[in-house]
Amino acid sequence: MSLLTAKTIQKKFGGVIALNDVSLTVDKGEIVGMIGPNGSGKTTFINNLSGLYAPTKGQFIFNDEDITGLPAHVITGKGISRTFQNLRVFPNITVLENILIGLHCRIDTSLWDVYARFLKTRRVEHQAKKKAMTVLELAELSDSQGILAKNLPYGKQRLLEICRAIVSDPYLLLLDEPCAGMNPVEMDDLADFIKLLQTKGITVFVIEHNMRFIMSVAQRLIVLANGSKFQEGTPTQIQNDKDVQAIYLGDEGDL
Amino acid sequence: MENIGSNSILNSPKYKAVAYGMLFIVCLLLPKIITNMYYLGIINYIILYTILCMGLNLILGYAGLLSFGHAAFYGLGGYTTAILIKRYGFSFLPCPLLSGVVALLFGILLGLPTRKVRGDYFCLLTIAFGEIFRLVAQAWIGFTNGAMGIVGIPIPSILGWSIRTEADFYYLGLILLAFTYITISLLIHSRFGRAFIAIREDELAASVMGINTAIYKIIVFAIGCFYAGLAGSYLAVYQTTVTPSNFRLEESCLMIIMVIVGGMGSLLAPVAGGIVMTLATEYFRSISEYRMLIIGVIMVAVLLYRPQGIFGTSAFKD
Repeated sequence: MSLLTAKTIQKKFGGVIALNDVSLTVDKGEIVGMIGPNGSGKTTFINNLSGLYAPTKGQFIFNDEDITGLPAHVITGKGISRTFQNLRVFPNITVLENILIGLHCRIDTSLWDVYARFLKTRRVEHQAKKKAMTVLELAELSDSQGILAKNLPYGKQRLLEICRAIVSDPYLLLLDEPCAGMNPVEMDDLADFIKLLQTKGITVFVIEHNMRFIMSVAQRLIVLANGSKFQEGTPTQIQNDKDVQAIYLGDEGDL
Repeated sequence: MENIGSNSILNSPKYKAVAYGMLFIVCLLLPKIITNMYYLGIINYIILYTILCMGLNLILGYAGLLSFGHAAFYGLGGYTTAILIKRYGFSFLPCPLLSGVVALLFGILLGLPTRKVRGDYFCLLTIAFGEIFRLVAQAWIGFTNGAMGIVGIPIPSILGWSIRTEADFYYLGLILLAFTYITISLLIHSRFGRAFIAIREDELAASVMGINTAIYKIIVFAIGCFYAGLAGSYLAVYQTTVTPSNFRLEESCLMIIMVIVGGMGSLLAPVAGGIVMTLATEYFRSISEYRMLIIGVIMVAVLLYRPQGIFGTSAFKD
């Protein structure tokens, strides 16, 4: 049963067509990878899906609901979380506070609660902290909870960003080049972590350049080229596909 | 939730309770210790500026919105109280709240453009609002009595407690300050406070966390302005006059400097900023306009040697 269906998504920036007729589905519980050369529209696709842009044409159906063009904060509330290609943790606050901000849409404190029912608010905050700690423990970050996020090592900051995205128990997690700048050991750890998330029932959609990583993680790959869907298949199919090799490395004739 | 350093005695709840208790007693007895009216007057101004800065700190320190219009909201509160008491014969009791609400409503109004206008442009907008307020207060003679201001605001009394001496005003200020501190503390330690910080740190990431950044910016701006209105109300009865020159751009600048010196984004920092800067302005009063020069030097020194301020957590545009 499909969790997300993208129907003929098109995005134009002025005269530039960044995405053209991209259709795909993501099933519940899958790890789907998206690859493609630089500028092929991978990040644009995620930005459209997560509500930072509205697509020019097409539809996103998520959990049988049309979410096309909704603002980002509403889409997060519906259960789609994401991370960014260029790291975007909140640098000047602690690791724990970062995670708590990720829980924002799962805490239903109103202004009335803040001032008039502060005991209830306190209880809710206490539960939120507990929940945040379980996620930190999952990622083995609980020892660093009091450290400012900017003082974490780079690989841990990446991990923190993922934790911040999953603490709200999303149905779908979008990862935009999660291992950019990571060393091979950190990459393997991340691959294990993503598979762990899958066992927790989170569907993962991951954009990545690193072939070794994406091959080890994804069950299905979608190849994007020049803003259009180029190929789709299992990692081994994609790896052996002559056309895919051609868009990455050029035709034999070009050499 | 055990934090790092939880073994230190400073963090034990017992110690905290004792410390707060002592502070409370000292605050209560202060007018008995300091009997000099001049010094007590300075302390009252410190309290006044601390309330103002706590409000501004919400806007600037927590949410990262630079507002040069805080004096205008301060003024709105001052004029509201002055006009309600003098013209409509209100008793003082509801005035601080009503003044705060008037400032809050105008705060919502000025907060609305934050949807579209960001950063430096929003800052320009707040300067414009501050100037418009001052010019209207100066020109609308029928309502605000123009540049002369509203004078002779009678001595306030709350439920039979007539507030006339410096010590009385000290206690009134303390009540307002405690109210400000408690309400801001409640707000900051909820998801709202965290949302404001997230907006300051990275607005785009905040929106992806499910925070409706447009609404939250209006909320934080309006609530910050509420406290300015509260302080304005205090000023009106304390000074017994309000004039447009009380609410010039320089006042807004001074508040911003106080928040920066005290440290942005920390609950108690405005107290430090308020104390340091009020004492500095008082101490250098003899050299009149040159004292702004010295205040500038203090600010530059703080930015150079301690950019996060005395107590602050976040550096100004790191």
